[in-house]
Amino acid sequence: MSLAEREPAAPAGPPPLRLKSSEFRRLREASWRDLEALVGRVEKRGVGALTADELERLPLLYRAALSSLSVARSIALDRNLLLYLENLSFRAFLAIYGPRGGFFEGLGRFLRRGFPAAVRAARWHFLVALLTTLAGVAAGFLLVAGDPAWFQTLVPGGLAGGRGPLSTRQQLLVGEIFAPWPGAFRAFALMGNFLLSHNTLIGLATFALGIAGGVPTLLLLLYQGMTLGAFLALHADRGLTVEFLGWLAIHGTTELTAILLCGAGGLVIAETLLFPGRYARLESLALHGRRAGQIMLGAVLLFFIAAILEGGFRQLVQETDLRFAIGGAAGVFWLLYFLFAGRERRR
Amino acid sequence: MTAAEERVAEFLDGGRRRRRDIVTPEGVALPVEIAGFGDRAAAFLVDLAIWFGASIVLMLAGVLLLAFVTRLLHHGAAALIGIFFGGLLLASFLARNFYFMHFELAWRGATPGKRLLGLRVIDRGGGPLRPSAVVARNLTREIEAFLPLSLLLSLGAGSGWERLSLGLWLLLFTLLPLFNRERLRAGDLIGGTMVVLLPRRMLLADLVEAGPAYRFTDRQLGAYGAFELQILEEVLRRPGGSEARAGLRDIAERICRRIGWSEPVTEREVERFLRDFYIAERAFLEREQLMGRVRADKHAGGTDGKL
Repeated sequence: MSLAEREPAAPAGPPPLRLKSSEFRRLREASWRDLEALVGRVEKRGVGALTADELERLPLLYRAALSSLSVARSIALDRNLLLYLENLSFRAFLAIYGPRGGFFEGLGRFLRRGFPAAVRAARWHFLVALLTTLAGVAAGFLLVAGDPAWFQTLVPGGLAGGRGPLSTRQQLLVGEIFAPWPGAFRAFALMGNFLLSHNTLIGLATFALGIAGGVPTLLLLLYQGMTLGAFLALHADRGLTVEFLGWLAIHGTTELTAILLCGAGGLVIAETLLFPGRYARLESLALHGRRAGQIMLGAVLLFFIAAILEGGFRQLVQETDLRFAIGGAAGVFWLLYFLFAGRERRR
Repeated sequence: MTAAEERVAEFLDGGRRRRRDIVTPEGVALPVEIAGFGDRAAAFLVDLAIWFGASIVLMLAGVLLLAFVTRLLHHGAAALIGIFFGGLLLASFLARNFYFMHFELAWRGATPGKRLLGLRVIDRGGGPLRPSAVVARNLTREIEAFLPLSLLLSLGAGSGWERLSLGLWLLLFTLLPLFNRERLRAGDLIGGTMVVLLPRRMLLADLVEAGPAYRFTDRQLGAYGAFELQILEEVLRRPGGSEARAGLRDIAERICRRIGWSEPVTEREVERFLRDFYIAERAFLEREQLMGRVRADKHAGGTDGKL
C-alpha cells in the first residue's frame, strides 16, 4: 500500500508498478494461446486434425485454462482477460465434450443398445398401453357384434374403404383379404408415404399428446383398439376371423408394436410431467425425454418396416398360413430383441 | 458471467442479453449466451434452403434418369413413375434427418446453418452432448414442423377444420421458444439441450504497462469501484477517433473533479492520464480484493457522486 500512497512523483523513471494479475497473465498466457490454437483447429476440421501428442495435451490445457479462470476471477479485475478465459474455456469444453462418433456409429449403437434398453426401461408404460388397446379391441368387438350399426360410428369412412355392415363375405375376400397385388406403384407409394399413413400419424399424435398429461394418449390408444375390434367383429360375423387375422398379422405385429411404443413413449413423457419426483418439471423432462425420444425413433423405424411388409408383401403373399408365419416371425423377433438385445453381460 | 460482468455488459451494450450459467463436469461455472429466436429461425431457414436445394438437384437427376429409362422400356412406365415418387418422398425424409443429425454429431452441435450464424447445441446440464439427445431433438422437429407442413401441403382441398388445427399446431410449436426464458423448442425440452451463441473473443494486450507518469493516493483511488474500472477499461480499449477523444476528455474531467485532482491535464496527456489512473486503480482494487475488501462500485464505500 505504501507504493501508491506517495504523492505524485516526478515523471522521470518511477519504479514499475507490479500487478499480481499482470504477472499471472504473463506466466500463463503461452498455454492459453496454445489451447486457443488447438481448439481453433478442432472447430475447423474436427478432432481428427490433431496429432496424438496434441490430443493428449488438449484436456490438460483445458483444465489449466479452467483453473486459470478460477484464479483470475478471484484476483483480476481485467474485464477483457476474464471474458477471454470464459470464452476460451467454453470453446475448449465444447471441443472436448462433443458427441463421439458420427451418424452411422450412433445409429448402430442405438440399435444394438439404446433402443431395446429404453423400451425395457419403459416396460410398465408399454404394458399400460397394451392393456388399454386390448380393452379398446374388446369394447369395439362387443359393440359391433351386438349391433353392426356401430361400425360406421367407430370407423371413419376413409379408413373403412367401402367395407361395412353391408359388405358380403365374397366382397371382403376378393376386395380386401386376397385382393390382387396392386403392383409396384401402390406398394412403393405406401412405403414412401409411410410417415403420412393413418396409423403412423395416430402413433405420432399418441406420442406428442403425452405432453398433455397422458389422458389423450390413452384415449387414442383406446380408440385405435376399438377400430380394430370393430373390423374384427365385422369379419368374424362373415366367418373370416382367421383369414382377417392373417391379413392383419403380416404387418400388424410390427405396426401394432410401433403404435404401442408410441403410446409408451407418450406415457413416459406424461409421467415425467405429472410426477417429476425430486426434480423440477423441466429437468425431469430433459432426463426422461431422451429415453422417450429413443423409443419414438425406434417406433418410426418399426413403422417403416411395417410399411414395407404391408406395401410390398401383404398382397404378394396370398396364403394365410404364410402370412401368419411372416407376421409371427416378426413378432417373435421384436419380442426377443426387446427382451435380450444389448443387455450388459452379468459378471 | 458473474453479476458484476453482466452489469458492465448491460451498461455498455445498453441492454440485457439472455445469459445462463452451465457447470462443467470439472465444477466450474461458465456463462453462455442464449441464442435468440431470430438467430435460430435464420439458421433453420439456411438449413432448410440447403436441404431443399439438395432435394431439387436429387429430383432433377432422378427425372432425367427416369426419362432415359422409360424410353428404353416400353411398358411398365407407370409403375416405374410410382416407384420413383414413393422413393422420392422416402429419400427426402431420410435425407433431412440424416442432414441434421449427421452435422450436429460430426460438427459438435452445429449444422451448416447454425455454424453460419455462430450457434451451437449444448447439453443444458453442462454434460457432454449425447447422440441420443441429438436424435431426440431432431426427430421431434419432424413432429413439430415437417409433418404438419407436409400434411398441410398434401391435404390440398382438405376440410377447413383440419387445416385450422394443423395451422394452429404449427404456430404453437413455432412460437413455443418465445414463451420460455431459454428459448427452448419442443425438441430441446425433450432432448435436454439448448442452443447458445458462440462468439470468439480475442485476448487483447494488457493495459498495464511499466512506468506510470502519474501517481494517486489510496484516498483518491478509493473513490471508485470495480464497475467504474471496467467501464474505463472498455473505453480505453476502443479505437480512438475525434469523438472518442472528446469522450476521454470528458471522463478525465469528471475523474479529476471527483478525486480532487488539482493539476491541469493537457489535451495531449489525457489518454496517458486515464491509462495511468486505470493502472493505479486496478492495482489498488485488486490488492483490496485480495484482502477481502471487494468494492463493487463507487457507492460501495459510502461515498457517492457521479462519474
